[in-house]
Amino acid sequence: MSSASRGNLKMALNSLRTAKWRSFLTMLGIVIGIVSVVTIVGIGGGMKQQVSNQIGHFGKDLLMVRPGTVTTDVNSKRLLASTDLLFGRTPLNGLTAQDYNTVKNTPGVGPVAPLGVVSGEAKASDGKEMPGNLVIATTPDLPAALNQKMHYGSFFDDDSELSSAVIGQQVAYQLFGQSAPLGKTFTMRGQSFIVRGVLSEFNAPPLSPTGNFDNAIFISYKMAGLITGTTPQFYAILTKPQDNKQLAEVKSSLATSLKKAHGGQSDFSILDQKDSVAMSGGIIDLMTAFISAVAAISLFVGGIGIMNIMLVSVTERMHEIGIRKAVGATNRQILSQFMLESTVLSAVGGVIGVIFSIVVNLLLRVYTSLEPVISWQALAIATGVSIIVGIVFGTAPAIKAAAKDPIEALRHE
Amino acid sequence: MPIIDLQDVSKLYGFGDATNVALDEVSLSIDDGEFVAVMGPSGCGKSTLMNIIGLLDRPTHGYYTLQDRAVARLRTTQRAKARRDTVGFVFQSFNLLPRLTVLENVALPLAYKGVGQSRRTKLARNMLERVGLHDRAFFYPNQLSGGQAQCVAIARALVNNPKIIIADEPTGNLDSASSRLVMELLSEIHKTGNTILFVTHNPELTRYATRVVYMHDGSIVHDEETKIGEVAATARKALYSIPEKTVDDDLAGVSALMKAVPHTAKEKNEPAKKKAAKKTAKAKTRRTKGTKK
Repeated sequence: MSSASRGNLKMALNSLRTAKWRSFLTMLGIVIGIVSVVTIVGIGGGMKQQVSNQIGHFGKDLLMVRPGTVTTDVNSKRLLASTDLLFGRTPLNGLTAQDYNTVKNTPGVGPVAPLGVVSGEAKASDGKEMPGNLVIATTPDLPAALNQKMHYGSFFDDDSELSSAVIGQQVAYQLFGQSAPLGKTFTMRGQSFIVRGVLSEFNAPPLSPTGNFDNAIFISYKMAGLITGTTPQFYAILTKPQDNKQLAEVKSSLATSLKKAHGGQSDFSILDQKDSVAMSGGIIDLMTAFISAVAAISLFVGGIGIMNIMLVSVTERMHEIGIRKAVGATNRQILSQFMLESTVLSAVGGVIGVIFSIVVNLLLRVYTSLEPVISWQALAIATGVSIIVGIVFGTAPAIKAAAKDPIEALRHE
Repeated sequence: MPIIDLQDVSKLYGFGDATNVALDEVSLSIDDGEFVAVMGPSGCGKSTLMNIIGLLDRPTHGYYTLQDRAVARLRTTQRAKARRDTVGFVFQSFNLLPRLTVLENVALPLAYKGVGQSRRTKLARNMLERVGLHDRAFFYPNQLSGGQAQCVAIARALVNNPKIIIADEPTGNLDSASSRLVMELLSEIHKTGNTILFVTHNPELTRYATRVVYMHDGSIVHDEETKIGEVAATARKALYSIPEKTVDDDLAGVSALMKAVPHTAKEKNEPAKKKAAKKTAKAKTRRTKGTKK
């Protein structure tokens, strides 16, 4: 029996080879489906890895105080309810300098760096502008909190002039056209600033333009208050415990002291790195699943293409079916021949799709900041799914072929 | 004991008013080793009979015993297996698979039997040698002459060692030289003990047969034993008394053979022709009326 099926396999490949164009076009549906699913799953996986790499870079003991309550459970409705896509309304109040002091005064807390966004465009003394730069109000503890090193110069400290600023590498190149513009000045909101240091390159988080600190100017939060005329609001306060073994204790004592300062209201949340990974990973998973589902539709359409072409093929080869039956082929043998043919068709499509997705993966790595990760599991599943598609969509045409009356089939030309 | 035994076998197509009787209670028994020629005009049920004997088709009524086994009501799978093991088919249009080589074509029935690759090739080669085409093993069917293609088809029919070979007008598409080649091959096979049934329109070819069966309108109307090498008596009548074909014959679609062959064919045919003539006349008048209106 196995020798007969090997003969069938040879025949299946043979019939694909004789109708090259048709086979190729039929496979194309499967190829596109496989490539899109594998690539999207790869991009999602890559983003998750990039996020966790970045978090690893910041250090496992980083704590982030954020205003409002944030849920880390992606499946709960609260995540979606907390962001209003249509009006952009978020039920969050910023954190204030008071909260910063509360955090700083909590026992066991190490470096504390608040992050606040100030709107303002920097203009260099020679007139160069840099639209879209990010101005962050913070404290001298930022490099310590984020494990970030200085590329040139030093970060401002409590004793330095309020008008000193630290810039990211992209700002250095775009605003001053050099890598170490130490001592250069620029103006922002009518105030002139002196560049005191340049930070080394950040591990860029993917798909987060506000998180691109290479594009940011860091100034003291006190200065930010002066140039905007209001008390600065922080979107996050970063901190670390003095002793990284006491992460949990510091986290809970932070929670109690902040709650006390807020009049017993828990309108803030404290995330450690595990929470952050779970949250961003959850969102990425959700997105990946959604886009993959759309891509999977093309796989389904490809399957219908196979069914269509197999039905045509069965009609065209009716005479052949008649001959085969006349020399003694049973219905089951005819069935398996046509099933094998559609399976080979879609499996070959799947393999081509896998090869293409590896190529697409490489191209994405070269030409974009995305770093898609294609796991062997994804490839194995893709190939498996394409084979299943072939079997599922090949069944109806194969049954049609097998059930044909031999005389009628022989009469068919 | 006959190898093929048909009892009151009928085959009907369609139903109700449109019922078409292809075989009308045919009883036929053929002994092991016979070489039977089946003759008759087109549409008389020869092919249907061959298909039923060859287990390609199922009779509507009647009993069919093939090698002591009742096969009239077999299920499709059983029928396919019995067909594979006991019957070899040779067709008028050769029916070789165009995308397989000669060798693969010959080996095809073995593949369905489940014979291993190397043994399959060996048996197919032997069979090609027997029909004298071993040097054409890797040719494709479209690279062969008609006679060669039919020999390959015969090799394919023989490769499973079936007891019975059924040839439906094996020489219908061949010139006389190739026809002779094919018929010689069949009679050679007959000599090695196979039972052969073949359909033909050519009375000359009854020389090869040991028995000639004449059919008409789904019934067997005449059945005679003949000696090998002699044209059958009834067929000879047809052969030497072919009347001139008239335009009327062509119009009525009646083959010249019919008139000469059995029974008082004239009685049957003449009214039919008249009827047909009347019909056309009527149709003509109707048409002219239609245009006038």
